Amino acid sequence: MKRKVLLVLAMVTLAWGCLFAGELEYFNVYKPKAGMTADEIMQIKYFNKYTLFAEDVSYTGKAYFIDKSGSTRERSTARKRINLGRESDGIAYKDLTVFTGPTQVKGLANLSWTYLDPQKQQDVWLWLPSLKKVRKISASQADDSFLGADFTIEDITTRRFGDETYRLVKEENFTGFTSDFSKKTYYKDTPCYVIEAAPKRANWYYAKRLVWIDKQYGTNIYEEKYDSKGQKFQYIFRWHEIHNVNSKEYPMQMFLEGEDLRSGHRTVIINETVEIDKGLSEEEFTESALSRSRW
Amino acid sequence: MFKRILIITALIIAVSLPAYAELTGENFTLTGSFKNETAMRLKDSLTGLSKLKNMLELAGEYDIKNDDLVFFIKTRYWYDSMYDTRKKYDFAEHYMRHTQRSDWLRDCYIDYTKNQWFLRLGKQQVAWGQADGITILDRVNPVDLSEYWLPDMADLRIPLWMANINYSPKLNSNLQILIIPDFEASTAAPAGAPYAFRSVTAFDNANKLAFHSLQVQNRYPGKQFDNSTFGLQWQDMIGDLTYTLNFLNGYYYNARTVRIGATTLYNRSFKRWRMYGGSINKTFTNPGPMQGVTMRGDFAYYNDEPIYYGNPSIASSSGIKRWDNIFWLIGFDKTFFTNWLASFQFSQYIYQDSKVKDTGITALTQYPFNSYTYGAEDQVENIFTLKISTDFKNERLKPEILWSFTDDNQGRIAPKATYEIKDNTWLTVGMNYFYGSECDSNGQFRDENQVYASLKITF
Repeated sequence: MKRKVLLVLAMVTLAWGCLFAGELEYFNVYKPKAGMTADEIMQIKYFNKYTLFAEDVSYTGKAYFIDKSGSTRERSTARKRINLGRESDGIAYKDLTVFTGPTQVKGLANLSWTYLDPQKQQDVWLWLPSLKKVRKISASQADDSFLGADFTIEDITTRRFGDETYRLVKEENFTGFTSDFSKKTYYKDTPCYVIEAAPKRANWYYAKRLVWIDKQYGTNIYEEKYDSKGQKFQYIFRWHEIHNVNSKEYPMQMFLEGEDLRSGHRTVIINETVEIDKGLSEEEFTESALSRSRW
Repeated sequence: MFKRILIITALIIAVSLPAYAELTGENFTLTGSFKNETAMRLKDSLTGLSKLKNMLELAGEYDIKNDDLVFFIKTRYWYDSMYDTRKKYDFAEHYMRHTQRSDWLRDCYIDYTKNQWFLRLGKQQVAWGQADGITILDRVNPVDLSEYWLPDMADLRIPLWMANINYSPKLNSNLQILIIPDFEASTAAPAGAPYAFRSVTAFDNANKLAFHSLQVQNRYPGKQFDNSTFGLQWQDMIGDLTYTLNFLNGYYYNARTVRIGATTLYNRSFKRWRMYGGSINKTFTNPGPMQGVTMRGDFAYYNDEPIYYGNPSIASSSGIKRWDNIFWLIGFDKTFFTNWLASFQFSQYIYQDSKVKDTGITALTQYPFNSYTYGAEDQVENIFTLKISTDFKNERLKPEILWSFTDDNQGRIAPKATYEIKDNTWLTVGMNYFYGSECDSNGQFRDENQVYASLKITF
């Protein structure tokens, strides 16, 4: 009898988890609530990370790659996303990233379609100025560097809820992050959940992450990655700006700073402008639109 | 007439650009680069300089109206100082030392976007197909092979004045119509240049033996609208497979130089041909053994393709035939070990016949030649390419190696590495190693193996 009750309880819990996942409907704003489990908090965190609350988002910004000696390389980008969450063809959202500088990489553009099914890889197209042609490309591996940054592809674009197991470690006030780049201190004494996330993939490039989630908005403000020996080898900081759109609070990621502690290489990404819900057309996220590049 | 309208339209906008730029500077973008390319021929050891090319490129974009109407121009000028220093190449310097004719204008067009319509009017290049470095459907523009197939495809194509009209009737589909009143012939290096084709050198030698009495009559297509090239491409998706259907009807860009009877006159004429084809691309995104593999394919049926034939051992032509040929390719790309990208292509050029059926000439002179390189061709040419690329130091160092070869034991191995010194300074070093019979496309350059370096500074 006891086993039956446990089984039913487990099934109810599982069903509730699925129901909860289903409840996170696109174009709504979700915030953590007291008593939520680590899984529920992380679902909100991923929802916010991929800006699924908005219809569309456009950014312009800069990325800085800084090596140990202080030598800095710079990239300018323009990025757009349209969120669809469409069951008919299974497309979650489409992204377009265009390098606008420096001249050597100006025009290089990347179009990706991400699917609702987390097991399905992205479809990716690249506009190659040296060929003046669009090429469908094999999706980069999740542990590859994202455009030369210290973040991996999965850190930025492909890691989904369910790729890891989650455990709520503690609740605490974040001590604050002082950026070497902007010289500012962010999020000092911000109440956070601290969640441990362990990858389900065996022999992955990290053994666990510690993730600090802002209790008020459910955004990931800081994380540390650890290897199998328990050594911290990377941190990523994210600063979010709250944008009020149609009386809703959208937490928009505006500043990222990360460092590979093994090489001392740092990456800073700054979103200088952001536009939300401007009515982007899906036609802008097609292969033929990509082939109209001029650079 | 049509070409004139295109040129005049583009010029009016170009002339009015400075005024616009003064008024609204934020809508105007100007970029440029300076590049030095230096190459050494390995066979000459330390004295083997074969290129010392300096290139200046300027590109400007003016957004006339909210991204709906945009003018774009790119110009390029280059000078190869090697021809000032090496007498060995003197014979080719008139062509190879500096920019030729209108080659300085790489792009000059206006883009107009309105709802489902997109128009690009002016001088431009259009790339069709999915193949890398092999022109199966990529036949809209002629090519400049003065440095063989070594430069990037965007530099190899010769831009043409054209109307590029696009209409998208539904999401992810596109109908493209090309009207090309302009005509340029594909070009090759003259005799005496490092990458002069063997047939070009053979003709030049024959001319020397004939005390320079051989005369070539170029017969370009007449400047009438009827002589335009017309292209059509339909693009759509079935599930996550993208396909295109392509059609091109125009003049073949490679002329055929054929002797007129027993005279010293040679006729170099251009023939009309048609291309029917299509392409596909698909990435296997679902879980399984194929996940992450991208498959690409091109297929083309060439109708009335002018085929040069002759004796491959002396690279001498006997005449031309109009054949119906097939050229197809399949390619696979996959990323391994985090950031190692392997790209493999297999293609077949299938000629209508193995030899021309002409009883009036000896069997030795009946072999078809490659359209571009004049290398000897089998009835079925099997072509393979394998490219492996990766990156280090946060994508600052990008090495790659390309191996292209055929089943005739000829090919090219080309390792190269690009290093980003600073945001605006890029260094590339590499090598081109050719092997095979001197009758073959790549093998004819087996004595032209080279190492090279290029430094590009952008602003």
